Amino acid sequence: MNRHVMGVDFGSTTAKTVILDLSGNIVAHSVAHMGAVSGDGVKQSMKDALEEAGLAQSDMGRVVATGYGRRMLDEADKNYTEITCHARGAVAMVPGARLVIDIGGQDSKVISVDSNGLVAQFAMNDRCAAGTGKFLEVLARAVEIGLEELGDTALQAREKLKISSMCATFAETEVISLLAEGHPKTDVLGAVHAAIAMRTLGLVGRVGKKGPVVMTGGVAKNPAAVHYIQQALEMPLILPKTPQIAGALGAALIGLDDYRAENKHLFISEHEDMAREEQMAADKACIPGCRGVPELAVDPFEKQPPKGKLKSLLGTIQNHI
Amino acid sequence: MERQEIMRRFAEAAGNPLSYARAWKERTGRKVIGSFPMNFPGELAHAAGALPMILQETDDPITAGHGVLFPFYCGFTRSMVDQAMRGEFDVLDAIMFGDHCVQLLGAADGIRMHLTKTRVIFFQLISSMCDPWTQGRSEESFAKLRAELEDFIGEAVADDAMHASIRLFNRNRALIRKLYDMRKKGTAPLGAIEMQHVVKSSMIMDKAEHTDLLQQLVAQFEGAKATPNRAVRLHLSGHFCQAPKPELLEMIEECGVVVVGDDLYHGFRYISTDVPEEGPPVSALARWYMDRNTGVPCPTRVQNNVDWDAYLLDAIRDERADGMIVLMAKFCEPHMYYYPEVKEAFEKAGVPHLLIETEHEGMALESLKTRVETFVEIVKRREAA
Ligand code: SF4
Repeated sequence: MNRHVMGVDFGSTTAKTVILDLSGNIVAHSVAHMGAVSGDGVKQSMKDALEEAGLAQSDMGRVVATGYGRRMLDEADKNYTEITCHARGAVAMVPGARLVIDIGGQDSKVISVDSNGLVAQFAMNDRCAAGTGKFLEVLARAVEIGLEELGDTALQAREKLKISSMCATFAETEVISLLAEGHPKTDVLGAVHAAIAMRTLGLVGRVGKKGPVVMTGGVAKNPAAVHYIQQALEMPLILPKTPQIAGALGAALIGLDDYRAENKHLFISEHEDMAREEQMAADKACIPGCRGVPELAVDPFEKQPPKGKLKSLLGTIQNHI
Repeated sequence: MERQEIMRRFAEAAGNPLSYARAWKERTGRKVIGSFPMNFPGELAHAAGALPMILQETDDPITAGHGVLFPFYCGFTRSMVDQAMRGEFDVLDAIMFGDHCVQLLGAADGIRMHLTKTRVIFFQLISSMCDPWTQGRSEESFAKLRAELEDFIGEAVADDAMHASIRLFNRNRALIRKLYDMRKKGTAPLGAIEMQHVVKSSMIMDKAEHTDLLQQLVAQFEGAKATPNRAVRLHLSGHFCQAPKPELLEMIEECGVVVVGDDLYHGFRYISTDVPEEGPPVSALARWYMDRNTGVPCPTRVQNNVDWDAYLLDAIRDERADGMIVLMAKFCEPHMYYYPEVKEAFEKAGVPHLLIETEHEGMALESLKTRVETFVEIVKRREAA
């Protein structure tokens, strides 16, 4: 039986891979940036994660894909949508979370999660790039500023401006005219982030506002986006350390569930493992309790009565005697 | 006739209703009467010797029609006006209009102003369904409709002819209901598009021809064993005047769904209820009009003692469906106003449902697919949990 599973998030601009051991611990993860959805980027991300873990693809018991390109990954045994996987990953990162806001390159989604960690409702941008990483990218270009500096610059905004258009192309026209009116880049970018926050608030309204709220996706790394969304929501956002890998983690966890369910007979808990070892040692010993040094042998049946089923079985035998 | 050939004939009529009408007219030399959905009794026009056909939305982009209706009218009404402006309705000798919603009324006015040569028969049906005067008022409306029709064709429509049409239409509806039942049981594995073709062609084709083909189709499934299907069983709800686009239905099924029931107008809503075969035909049509709203409740009608949401929950239980997809045409006000009640009832009952807003102008199918797939995953995981 293989001892690891893999989750791959084949996104629109980045590919993410997470490798888990069978206890659900992250063994390795990687993020590869691509121009657009590309098979090479995904392969790179998988290769990086495998190298970090010191494993080969053949060591993976299950591979689950998610993201836009989820159906294109040959190595995947199954694929699930990014909504299911992000919810699962985010709740694993922040146990108890009831709302997940995920803003990625091409889409933004808000997922409400029930007390069992299952998706209850979801809403996503289904028409255009409004409120997504792409929206920020287009407007950063209009302001002639690098994506990395975008958030910090926007946080310096002083005057409240308004961008009312949700369409990235029309918003770009608004940004240009605000700049032409002489408003500083900081204020204009503040308005851009406020617009994203309002759009997110709209999605939250569709599934119902509740907390704790966790934010994932690439845009969670942008401090201005986080600031404005918190302000609009009037609630704090919990940010996991690696918000980008939530989808890949969720995919890996779902893969782990499936793999465990399929190989149930091969999985034994630590407790069962110990009990089984003791039983085997007891079976092999010629003196009860001997583990190779007969003089130190302690009769386990007298001093350390075995637990659980074994105990009751022995009890039954003793009663019979 | 082979099943494929029957389905091909249905699909052909459903795909190009006006061509069917042209060919029928040429063949028979008789009149074609188009009507607006959803409450016209085709039986009347049929008894008058005409071909009654329910006018259908097309996929064509709205061009000329933009000058008549605002873009915030539903796709069906905009498409109707656009087809009229482009001269597509020339084959129609008359159009029967009604006003089950404000937008339909706007479309009727728009068409009336432009198709000056086409006879327009306009009538209103009472929308309050449970008043003591509802039956009487409905009878008055249908009697007026009959009189207008008689005036248009220039002769009286005999009661006997109406009874014969009622019997034929009932037979047609019963056969389609039988197919629905077989699909629910799994003995007639008809996909959502096929089912739409069956119902939509019934709104268009000569009733006798359609019934004959239906009979042959039903016979092919008779005695068949249920085919096991591991897909998620869903009910499709909504979409009144226009048929959901086939590519949308195909996408839904591709996500691992089998549609086991619906209350679409281009579906079970159209064939849910029969017209009583006894008594004066006009009273029978009025009875049918009232019974239909108990058969499958419609949000364009008002009836205190029936609930669409309660009906849907019952249907889902009966169909052993795992959930429901609601197809809502953009700007369809009656649906938009009623949907919150459906949402609330389904959430309360713990039955999963997904709302999809559809547009005449086309939809981002890939993104919609992600939503439907997620919905299927939710349904499956909830069942497993
Ligand atoms: S009921 Fe809805 S779909 Fe039908 S005409 Fe009115 S708005 Fe359009």
